[in-house]
Amino acid sequence: MKPATLAELRDAVRDTDGPLVVRGAGTAAGWAGTPLPGATEIETTGLDRLLAYNPDDMTVAVEAGMPLTRLQAELAPHGQRIALDAARTPAGATVGGLVATADSGPLRHSHGGPRDLVIGVTVVLADGTVARSGGHVIKNVAGYDLGKLFCGSFGTLGVIAEVVLRVHPLPPATRTVALPCDAVEAVDAAGRLLAARLEPVALEWCDGSLLARYEGGPSSVERRAAVTPGTPLDGAAEAKAWQRVGDVSEEQTVVRCGTRPDQLPYVAKHATRVASSVAVGVHTVAVAGDAEVERLRAEFEHVTLCRRPPGSDLPAWGRPHTAVPLMRAVKQRFDPAGRLGAGRFAPWF
Amino acid sequence: MALTDLRDKLVADLGRDGVIDDPAHLRTYECDALTGYRVVPALVVLPRDAGEVATAVRACAEHGVPFVARGAGTGLSGGALPTADGVVISLQRLRRIIEVDPVNRRAVVQPGVTNLDISKAAAAYGLYYAPDPSSQQVCTIGGNVAENSGGAHCLKYGFTANHVLAVDVVLPDGTPTRLGGDAPHQAGFDLLGAFVGSEGTLGVVTAVVVRLLHTPATVRTLAADFDSTETAGAAVTAVIAAGIVPAAIEMMDNLAIQAVNEAVDAGFDPDTAAVLIIELDGPADEVEERFAEVTAVCTAATRVTIARDAEQRARFWRGRKAAFAAVGRLSPNYFVQDGVVPRTRLGEALARIAAMADEAGLRVANVFHAGDGNLHPLVLYSEAAGEHERAEALSSAIAELCVELGGSLSGEHGIGTDKACSMPRMFSTDDLETMKRLRAAFDPAGLCNPGKIFPTPRLCGERPGPYRPHPLESAGVIERL
Repeated sequence: MKPATLAELRDAVRDTDGPLVVRGAGTAAGWAGTPLPGATEIETTGLDRLLAYNPDDMTVAVEAGMPLTRLQAELAPHGQRIALDAARTPAGATVGGLVATADSGPLRHSHGGPRDLVIGVTVVLADGTVARSGGHVIKNVAGYDLGKLFCGSFGTLGVIAEVVLRVHPLPPATRTVALPCDAVEAVDAAGRLLAARLEPVALEWCDGSLLARYEGGPSSVERRAAVTPGTPLDGAAEAKAWQRVGDVSEEQTVVRCGTRPDQLPYVAKHATRVASSVAVGVHTVAVAGDAEVERLRAEFEHVTLCRRPPGSDLPAWGRPHTAVPLMRAVKQRFDPAGRLGAGRFAPWF
Repeated sequence: MALTDLRDKLVADLGRDGVIDDPAHLRTYECDALTGYRVVPALVVLPRDAGEVATAVRACAEHGVPFVARGAGTGLSGGALPTADGVVISLQRLRRIIEVDPVNRRAVVQPGVTNLDISKAAAAYGLYYAPDPSSQQVCTIGGNVAENSGGAHCLKYGFTANHVLAVDVVLPDGTPTRLGGDAPHQAGFDLLGAFVGSEGTLGVVTAVVVRLLHTPATVRTLAADFDSTETAGAAVTAVIAAGIVPAAIEMMDNLAIQAVNEAVDAGFDPDTAAVLIIELDGPADEVEERFAEVTAVCTAATRVTIARDAEQRARFWRGRKAAFAAVGRLSPNYFVQDGVVPRTRLGEALARIAAMADEAGLRVANVFHAGDGNLHPLVLYSEAAGEHERAEALSSAIAELCVELGGSLSGEHGIGTDKACSMPRMFSTDDLETMKRLRAAFDPAGLCNPGKIFPTPRLCGERPGPYRPHPLESAGVIERL
């Protein structure tokens, strides 16, 4: 089913019997657990309108099925952007899909992820209830923040129908400096750059280089780049370096994991390739096989499976972290019949 | 009787000095900083560590007695208001900074640690904790987590929710758990994000892992006078439209300036209609480039004073942060309101507030975080002159005006007891019922800080009134089904 309006979505959820699985553009179809067969698919890509955009308020409301690239194209003429650069964006990832998977890219270093950018949501629950939380202003503490709750919910709590986001100005200039180093040095070098208070917007260690990206006024980024150890990259080399960071997500077996920043070397030793937001400790990790995933899970609590080869029987989630019982309780209240996304969180629930 | 049994159990577990039950002493806990609401609790417990918090919560749960956690009691929405037959769990004895980790730029602290003490402990490493509510010298991090506190600098730096990596909490049945992790990536739902800002209704915090930032290399601050709040508001819009994200943009109107000048030597022009405090911080080159742009945008200002040093900057901020208290010099009583409008509707909001104040025959001083449209109108009145009800009605009407203009009932003070009855202005029944599902998942028995956030017939009676559509709904942009 491919509803084109909120009302159609609500009706589709309410009037269809049995299990449902939500799909956006399908760019993260392999993330988390595989949906159990037999579920009716609800595709959100028909919900792709821009709902409200007032550049001076720096907020924008969209339907969840809008691809992020299209939204960025709407914002760019006004000198604005969504400060979210998840690797699968160019492949057509939708705003709702990025929220449901809590995906992010190197800009997480300075802007966080969807949880930090979403200021309002409209969701359709499994029983057809349509509910909003948040609103259209950035600063807002009225009511519970369901937008954050739905980050990382993989379509199991409800269908995200509309999303309100905060926008940021497009920088006048950017500059990237690459410093060849290993994982241990990357942790130290990142710490020194921060201590020098140069405020990079991204600090990513990938394929043996620490990439520091600056954004801001043209002369300011040049001067900051000039005092940063390493080689400033010209336009083509810069694009290529960041492309390689995104490519890590395309390897055969990939997980996203969060650790203390200084744990990077322990993550890297299991990896064939890593794209690590080294200063915040969020790593996209390509590994040789299932056994390495299990080893990472044995060492770290928050590991999300993003990609695995066809035929792999690796469970999507490892040992439950302390909040998993609470996740089950929330799932029970939002979707007591277990209609939505069955299998996504197997074996946890 | 449950309360007697509970008291005996708590005394046995926490010791005699861990439980307060004498009426005189209990009165200390009858309200938070929203002093208009007062309820003396049945008991107060003073746990010494996370284990004792869990013991106290479990005992309350087993006896079916409601409880509310309390930090410094600086909240402005009655979020820590006790229930008469309930227990207050004071976190004042949990005030240890457990760890400052400069390598990973984070600190682990107990909930009773004050906001400012985190930055003081981090200062040795050139680090600080960014959210800076005006009460930061006394308010606690546990309270900040409950309220998702903001502050003057959240325009650039965000709110508590953006700076907390994990919390250890005792769930309402007494189970300890951890939400969040070592990094901003969680396997599964963002329960941490849902918890921060839940106003103490989902559990009791026993430890907080906060992110620390390096103090910015350069800070530049100016105070710009304007001949009206409208021209000041236009300057704010111009700064934002230039693609600049200042660390802070604050506005005070003439009445607020007069109050501040009486209270502290902040050096604001007593005759100006409005003053903007604009602060930029960051790498030196970047700040200088951008500061020149800001100064250029402030052409409509009648006077621009650039802070020449840290001392003058501190004076500006002392003035701004003293504003609430200073208003007490102009008026025997006042209400502090907290609402948000889309920034582009600031001028309209201020004009409407002025008209509403005239109609009510009361004065309203405006102090606000202009950059994010977060208004703090201060409604001045006199109890002695019998103006209480009129002032309260005006204050509530202002919050509801913010919703009507497409904004929010609260930007940082929370809903608490104060605005629960206004929630139906902003959210439909289905919205609120959906939020209650989250509450029920954490607290099926409904014992954890009951009566907050959600309207109840007992609290609100007939007051809430019918739901009114959001402006975008009226415009046909969004629909409510």
